[in-house]
Amino acid sequence: MTLHILSEKEKKEILDELEEQFGILEIPGIVVKRGEERLFLFQGSFTENQIKELDSTVPIERVGIYFAKISEGHIRLSIDGIQILKNQITKNVVEINLEDVEKWMQGSELQITTGKKGYIIIKYKNDFLGTGKASENKITNFIPKNRRLKYKDQ
Amino acid sequence: MNQRRIPEAKPLFIERMKKLLDDAEFEKYEKILKEQPVRSIRCNTLKISPAELKKKLEGKGWKISQPWPKYPEVIIIESELEPGELGRALEHMLGYYYIQELASMLPVMLLEPKENETVLDLCASPGSKTTQIASSMKNKGTIIANEIALSRIKILASNLERCGVTNVIITKKEGSALCERLKKQNFEFSKILVDAPCSGEGTLRSSMKTYLMWNIKTIKKLPKIQKNLVEFALRILSPGGTLIYSTCTHAPEENEGVISDILDQFKDIKLEKIDLPVKHREGITSWENQVYNSQVKKCARIYPQDNNTEGFFLAKIKKIK
Repeated sequence: MTLHILSEKEKKEILDELEEQFGILEIPGIVVKRGEERLFLFQGSFTENQIKELDSTVPIERVGIYFAKISEGHIRLSIDGIQILKNQITKNVVEINLEDVEKWMQGSELQITTGKKGYIIIKYKNDFLGTGKASENKITNFIPKNRRLKYKDQ
Repeated sequence: MNQRRIPEAKPLFIERMKKLLDDAEFEKYEKILKEQPVRSIRCNTLKISPAELKKKLEGKGWKISQPWPKYPEVIIIESELEPGELGRALEHMLGYYYIQELASMLPVMLLEPKENETVLDLCASPGSKTTQIASSMKNKGTIIANEIALSRIKILASNLERCGVTNVIITKKEGSALCERLKKQNFEFSKILVDAPCSGEGTLRSSMKTYLMWNIKTIKKLPKIQKNLVEFALRILSPGGTLIYSTCTHAPEENEGVISDILDQFKDIKLEKIDLPVKHREGITSWENQVYNSQVKKCARIYPQDNNTEGFFLAKIKKIK
């Protein structure tokens, strides 16, 4: 992989967007960009220089975990990205009921009017269930296929 | 109880197991192979506490137990579940637990990774042990998780994501070549796990295909690869550091045979006594005209009939200087 560790300026741009969208004030760790849009978060003890030295020594496939995607100028947090940053999230959270949890986790869009537009975070009780995109009367689902709930015959 | 039909084991495999176990033990071994394996999971403490997970799972109507008081994260699902139900549960999708066989949890318990250490998991995929290491380290320090095959890296990455492991760097390289390169750049690790590729004799209960795939040629071929991995890994182990060598096989050639050669080759290492929450037996000191270094007695053999688990082998190597 081409290793692109975000500079402080680049990281600030991502953070500004996350603050506007979800009230997040800090991205604790090193952010690495893979391709044009996928962002990875590393919170280990290796410094940027150590990671670069490692990268020049052996082929690196991933640094940290995928936590967000740049999409149409906005940031779409992954389920795991949300779970890492959940204590900082203060806005654009939509709480759903148990019936909708199943639909949502199966990958279906939800016919809900939230009064919000753009990326929102879905929550049920203390469980954060990923990012959706709210429009007039529905929430589009972005749960990746490998994280969806499946029936036994699927 | 829980009896099921299993494929017939190859005659040479049976002959070898009878050399390892006396008649009474072999009978118990054969009997347990016919029993369904225990449904065990490990709570992912990076995302949820064992108490919270217990509450959630019991809320689903599952009966659970925690067999090892020192390790509350280890959970057994006592209820009968539908096939695949453990993997389809919401709590699994959210990364609150990892489906992991009990014996497979032992190498990391023995490794005892601590926060802020630098740890190498040399043969990391599918990630059960890497995620367990990260939990022990509370996502601090750094783990280098290596895997040679791209297809297996995808599985590893997916499991690390699901479990929220943020202190890991995944590398793709043949294990001994990776260590050689790291050595040249003076990278060192305080803990190393070599969960080596093996013939998998210990996994017969959960992987029936092992009955069909078992082959003496594989057993004769693997020790060279296994020895190479340990040999190169030891060169990047810090003085005072610990290396755990583990396999899920009973074959002495892949276990005591490998460790004996390593002990003869390296003068700055010693084997440490193994302390585990399960019954285990000493390593054997001879096999088919081979006499092993007497230190291999300190290794641990885990047979399925001893703890109702899969079979495993473990060695704890300490670098003296």
